[in-house]
Amino acid sequence: MKLWKKSVVLSIALLALGVARMPYEAGLTRELRDARLLPSALDIGTVEKIGQTSAAVAFGGLRTLIATFLNLRAFTYFTEKRWDDVADTYDTIVDLAPHTRYYWDSGYWHIAYNAASYYMYDSTLAPVRRKEAWRTSILKGRSFLERGIRNNPDDWVLHADLGYLLSDPNKFPAFKDQRETFSAAADAYQKSAETGKALGYVRRFRFYALARVEGREAQALALARELYAEGTKNRTPTFLSLLLVLEAHENPSMDTTARAIELFGTPQKAYSALSGHWQRINERFPIFGIAEAMATLENRLSIPEKDRVLNQPLPAPRNLEKSFNE
Amino acid sequence: MSTATHIPQKGSHTGRILIIATHAFTQLVRMKVFYFLAIFAIITIASNFFNLPQHEGPESVGTNVLSQIKGWSFGTMHIFSVVLSIVATALLLPKDVEDRTLYTILAKPVPRFDYLAGKLLGVMLLIFISLALMDGLMTLVLQIRTSMVAKEQMEMATTLGWPQREIDALRAETFSNGPSWSMQGAVIAVFLRASIMASLALLISTFSTSTLFTTIVSFMVYFIGHFQADARDVYLHGGQAGEGMIAKVTSLLFALVLPDFQIFNVIDAVIQGETMPIIALGKLTLVALYYAMFFTIASWFIFSDKEF
Repeated sequence: MKLWKKSVVLSIALLALGVARMPYEAGLTRELRDARLLPSALDIGTVEKIGQTSAAVAFGGLRTLIATFLNLRAFTYFTEKRWDDVADTYDTIVDLAPHTRYYWDSGYWHIAYNAASYYMYDSTLAPVRRKEAWRTSILKGRSFLERGIRNNPDDWVLHADLGYLLSDPNKFPAFKDQRETFSAAADAYQKSAETGKALGYVRRFRFYALARVEGREAQALALARELYAEGTKNRTPTFLSLLLVLEAHENPSMDTTARAIELFGTPQKAYSALSGHWQRINERFPIFGIAEAMATLENRLSIPEKDRVLNQPLPAPRNLEKSFNE
Repeated sequence: MSTATHIPQKGSHTGRILIIATHAFTQLVRMKVFYFLAIFAIITIASNFFNLPQHEGPESVGTNVLSQIKGWSFGTMHIFSVVLSIVATALLLPKDVEDRTLYTILAKPVPRFDYLAGKLLGVMLLIFISLALMDGLMTLVLQIRTSMVAKEQMEMATTLGWPQREIDALRAETFSNGPSWSMQGAVIAVFLRASIMASLALLISTFSTSTLFTTIVSFMVYFIGHFQADARDVYLHGGQAGEGMIAKVTSLLFALVLPDFQIFNVIDAVIQGETMPIIALGKLTLVALYYAMFFTIASWFIFSDKEF
């Protein structure tokens, strides 16, 4: 048979078998995509950013390899304080490897923490511009992290990261509605705990966030009682102080001193823990009933007037505005 | 030379194919292909030293290096296997013609199918052994590093007074980033893709006039094959965006003619910690078998009465 005739026969066979295999391959692709084994198509912007050579490699099924190299590049940008490049590179990295926790985690950290802190002290900018850059960077970091969560809803660390960012006292001024922010932090910690893989501190941190949401005190108290019942591992000074506060909120006529001694074991321990709580003003923890308990404990422990925490001025709240003007 | 004349043959097909495969394998080994393993070893070991600073808690310390080892090792395996499958196969026939070995073999009662299948099997054997060695090295390095990371994390967790249940959970999570059966499945997926490429290169080399042509065309098909699934999607689900008939027919042709290499990109998901079910691997194997068989039979069809 002549080559051209063979070519015709072969082409017909190729097309006929192609028709037969197409539904199988289409079904398999769908199946693998549903099982998260196949990535979605690369964004056109990502292709442009990584360049043609890298795009070819990425299309060839080596996206994670390109992502590791871009991660090294992002680190160089970080050391050179090229924050826009850091953010851009992480956007590309997570497009290439959307299910690698490390990239979301590192990306959000660079944007919301490192870049934001840099802008805060960037003397080349006017104070107003500094503050705006600082705030924008934090919001960008939050948005990046939320995107990571949407891509990895079962990842407890990313949920916990969001909870941590929203409860960070150094970031409070970046978020307009503090109540909404604490509430979102509590919800983030809850979602982290619901994955079933989170470490023990996550539920306790959820409680810390929830305790600061006005209107959700009852819910916070119910959670505190649940955590308390689980044993001593959750009974940190912060936890016990907040439990006391929420009980006092629920029942204003409660004997807070007696309850404090019951919770902490001794009047000395109770006074020490409550003093610490009283002075943690930057974290905006509620303080119902604390002052009364401390006053009674100061009398009972015969603490000299000059040493009484209630007689001393509260530590000055951290003034971020000052940082922007330094 | 023509096969039109029937030549009585002795021995089994399998025996002949295996002898030719062994010969092709030896021929390729003599080309110092295994030197590449030294480069692979350097890359795998080097990937250990790019531990960038991170802010995460004890639960995540060092885990980035584990996925980096997998990423770099799989990347190297992937590139090596694809390049080797194309170049080695493209070389085989022209080299046999140049050395005149081809005439000696075909003058004997060796069916041309056995000759082609043997050559292909030799290349696949070489790729398989190379990948197995690389896989062994990667698994060893990954296992050692995972144990080191786990030890470091355990020490930190114990110092911080974590409850035993949490320490155990952390240990399990860390080891889930280490060597796994899914990782072995991904290595098989690398091999399957390389096997398809080798059989495709064999087909092209049966009608090609030069090694260079075979290599270039094979690489082009390899890259375009990663868009086959997109072409298929355009054909199956297109129309909403107002694509014309020409676009639909072109995408259909692409989908029918080219192999779908995108489905083998499951490797990336495994590197990121996803589990590959055995059924998925089985289905990928079926796809690879189909392509390898079709291309080999097609190669024989072209080669069967080719004059030399």
